[in-house]
Amino acid sequence: MQFIVELGRYVKLLGAVFSRPEQWKTFRNQVFKEMNTLGIDSLPIISIISVFMGAVITIQTASNLDGGFIPLYSVGYAARQSMILEFSPTIIALILIGKVGSSISSELGTMRVSEQIDALEIMGINSANYLILPKVVACILFNPFLITLSMVIGISGGYLATVFTGIMAGSDYEYGVRYDFNSFDYTYAMIKTVLFAFVIVTVPAFYGYYVKGGSVEVGRASTKAVVSSSIVILILNYVVTQLLLI
Amino acid sequence: MIEVKNITKRFGDNEVLSDVSAQFERGKTNLIIGASGSGKTTLTKCIVGLHDVSDGEVLYDGVNFSALKQSERKEIRQQIGFLFQGGALFDSMTVEENVMFPLKMFTTQSKKEMQMRVDFCLDRVNLSHTHKLFPAELSGGMKKRVGIARAIAMNPRYLFCDEPNSGLDPQTSIVIDQLINEITAEYDITTIVITHDMNSVLEIGENVIFIYKGKKWWQGDKRDILETDNQELTDFVYASDFMKKIRQRARG
Repeated sequence: MQFIVELGRYVKLLGAVFSRPEQWKTFRNQVFKEMNTLGIDSLPIISIISVFMGAVITIQTASNLDGGFIPLYSVGYAARQSMILEFSPTIIALILIGKVGSSISSELGTMRVSEQIDALEIMGINSANYLILPKVVACILFNPFLITLSMVIGISGGYLATVFTGIMAGSDYEYGVRYDFNSFDYTYAMIKTVLFAFVIVTVPAFYGYYVKGGSVEVGRASTKAVVSSSIVILILNYVVTQLLLI
Repeated sequence: MIEVKNITKRFGDNEVLSDVSAQFERGKTNLIIGASGSGKTTLTKCIVGLHDVSDGEVLYDGVNFSALKQSERKEIRQQIGFLFQGGALFDSMTVEENVMFPLKMFTTQSKKEMQMRVDFCLDRVNLSHTHKLFPAELSGGMKKRVGIARAIAMNPRYLFCDEPNSGLDPQTSIVIDQLINEITAEYDITTIVITHDMNSVLEIGENVIFIYKGKKWWQGDKRDILETDNQELTDFVYASDFMKKIRQRARG
């Protein structure tokens, strides 16, 4: 029962979020500001995680191919497919929940308990639209770029691993990366990215926006936001994969 | 003038306000007083539309605000200035940006005109040197004054102040009280102040409404408070021995 009530409130919040912005100029400026905060500021952590993910996938796959039956270039193929299909869109989305989602929840929660949201409402501003819509738009526009970059860095990380460890020839890896590429895999990853971007913003925003109480509740809301949006992303990942790949 | 007629507000089974009626006059500093949990903040939130009333009406200069849809309330809301207890300044904006915010959102003024208005408002609250500071860099009193500057930026017809003196020293409290009083008279606006501060009540209370257990218990001005025999009000106002002595002296 509680779940249905919460779902209803979430849908109601989305109704308020997706309405016409008060001022298009202000909205545009906010979208750029959020792209910087939620997107560009995430580049370092995404790059570090991606390079190591690619490297580890490569070493693990290569070290398991010791029979000589499977060609070595399949390591590059496996690294590419893993990064494009799963690691970049899904694992990076889970990382972004921890970084971006918790920050959104805390920001809105603090604004709620310090009456800043009430101040917007009294001025006649749709606070949900003013505060959340620019974040949704910024994430949906910027995350595809972020995830594409993660794919490139991850695959490059795999190449670096072959160079530094000598576990296989770099040329074999390179051949595998280019082998039998299906562009739909990238489309599938981008569809997931856009859906996950929506979840990364709206679920934490929901928990932050409706906080009641003080700093303890803001912290709790942030934790709930991370847990709930992670679960939503994992379920969504399964559903989208089944719908698009089978 | 703001008028509330037979307002009742329930949260589930809990009735926080019961059949409250009152008039808040234009050009006067109207005070709502009462103990913590008596319902005065809920009453104010009902008046500004942050809570929908369960029964009754809120009238802004004759317009039934509570009957309007959220989208139709915008016009009246843009005429409301609200000073929150903690200031509720936007953390990510400088003082100047905070005061300019409503102008940016609701007017078509040029940047120069907005800047002139911001300078005027900050000058009016004696904070002309704080334009580039962030709220975290201000003292409690300064935050309240920036809150007042933001509240008057749009030339409001109605000004609400939620416990403007809480957390301030007596001297700063007097400065804030005088500022609210001066602005009310200067712009001929309807001002409603929620307060616990008896100094404020006796200093600026031109129309005082006492809320007790969710009901309007008493209404009068600051002079009437000295004369009243209303037990609940005198228990609230003259809670300390010191205040009781003052009252005895005042009554001769």
